[in-house]
Amino acid sequence: MHVALHYLGVYGVGALKDIALTIVSTILSIILGVLAAAGRLYGPKALQIAIAWYVEIIRGLPAILQLFIIYFGFDQIGIHFSPLMAALIWLVAYGVGYAVEIFRAGLMDVAQGQREASAALGLSPSTTMRKIVFPQALVAMLPPLTSFVVLQLKNTTLLYLVGFADVMYEARLGVDATNQAGPLYVMAAVVYLIISLVIGRIGMRMERRAAAYR
Amino acid sequence: MSNDVVVSARNMTKRFGNTLVFKDVSLDVHKSEVVAIVGPSGAGKSTFIRCINRLHPFDEGTLELLGHRLTGGKAKVPRAVLQDIHTRVGMVFQTFNLFPHLTVIENIMLAPMEVKKMPRAEARERAMALLEMVGLPHKRDIYPKRLSGGEQQRVAICRALAMEPEIMLFDEPTSMLDPELVGEVLGAIQRLAREGMTMLLVTHEMAFAKEVADTVVIMADHEIAEMGPACEVLESPKTERAQQFLSRVLKPEQAADDFVAARTASQGGDR
Ligand SMILES: Nc1ncnc2c1ncn2[C@@H]1O[C@H](COP(=O)(O)OP(=O)(O)O)[C@@H](O)[C@H]1O
Ligand SMILES: [Mg+2]
Repeated sequence: MHVALHYLGVYGVGALKDIALTIVSTILSIILGVLAAAGRLYGPKALQIAIAWYVEIIRGLPAILQLFIIYFGFDQIGIHFSPLMAALIWLVAYGVGYAVEIFRAGLMDVAQGQREASAALGLSPSTTMRKIVFPQALVAMLPPLTSFVVLQLKNTTLLYLVGFADVMYEARLGVDATNQAGPLYVMAAVVYLIISLVIGRIGMRMERRAAAYR
Repeated sequence: MSNDVVVSARNMTKRFGNTLVFKDVSLDVHKSEVVAIVGPSGAGKSTFIRCINRLHPFDEGTLELLGHRLTGGKAKVPRAVLQDIHTRVGMVFQTFNLFPHLTVIENIMLAPMEVKKMPRAEARERAMALLEMVGLPHKRDIYPKRLSGGEQQRVAICRALAMEPEIMLFDEPTSMLDPELVGEVLGAIQRLAREGMTMLLVTHEMAFAKEVADTVVIMADHEIAEMGPACEVLESPKTERAQQFLSRVLKPEQAADDFVAARTASQGGDR
């Protein structure tokens, strides 16, 4: 048996960690992203500006610098995060920056006439958001959200740099130990590709269901 | 038509920023009265009826409706008052504005269930009765995209009626429709008028206005140019502005001639 195949087990465990981290960080990013998008669109001016700047910073700074600042930078001032904690904080902080813009664009995409029709029927602003605006915005948001989840998955490959033991981390260790860079990296690529494809399929299904009325 | 005034506008003025939309508009609407508002486009007709159900705030004057008294300016209307007005005043839009992600019957059931907390079964039953009334019961599970414009507008009327409004506002309900579909929508509106609904109707259909409206209001140049009993205003308008507008719309060939004459004149001037 090829030496690389001995790594299937640890790859599997690493893949589960990556998947779990992607799911948890996506859910948190979406929740915080919806709130931040609402603040960006309808909040007080100061909040709008603060969120706009946050988005600029997250999108402008190299991802790896953000991660290093959270893990190594905070360590310097006495705040120590475990690799898992640092990974989660970074993925969510980064994810919110992207999610805000996806939600903002989606919400703005829903025509003004829809809000007016809803208001004219006596529906409250929160019901209008829940029943009228959000379901329609979702159709516009799902394709970029799917790409966003894949982006978060790919971001997890940077986490080996802070010692988070996922697929990428195991691949690096394996290459150091066995000198089988080719097979080990290709195997890691296949793992990430499979997960990405599954995310894409799920996204496509949700899009089709959400857009059934179109 | 009775003597109870349900809408009373006094010297209402509305601006968008520095642009004046209308000024000093005063108008009383009685219970079961049908008021048609006509006039050239850009006169502020849509904005005026949107101010009545407070989709837009207005700047000066007062508006009394359904026992509420609203004044112009920045002061916020309490949420409960706004909600009461929206619940009791129905609106039908030029562009239908049906909710595209809901089926026909869901469009109609939504507000009674969400706002009035009506049980689903009852909301469904009432929605079906409304759909029967406009001749569309077989379309109940279809999404709005699959309906013709005339069908969409009839569903939009049902959606507004499901809240059992005391006043209905129509903003050019037929102007987006192909000519052969106009009749079915006007039919539904006429039926409402006969049943005693109080209505404000912005329209370009002069013949229809004459037939169903008790009162006609001509809006032009940011104000009410003339108002009075429908036949009087439409057949023998007194003000020059009203005569000018009506001669345009009632005699299209004349308007076309005017248009050509004006163009030739202006082109001649350019040269
Ligand atoms: N939301 C808005 N913001 C700024 N100007 C507006 C808005 N809505 C309408 N207007 C302007 O107000 C004027 C009256 O418009 P409208 O009430 O739609 O007229 P009508 O319905 O009689 O054609 C127009 O000049 C229009 O451009
Ligand atoms: Mg208009």
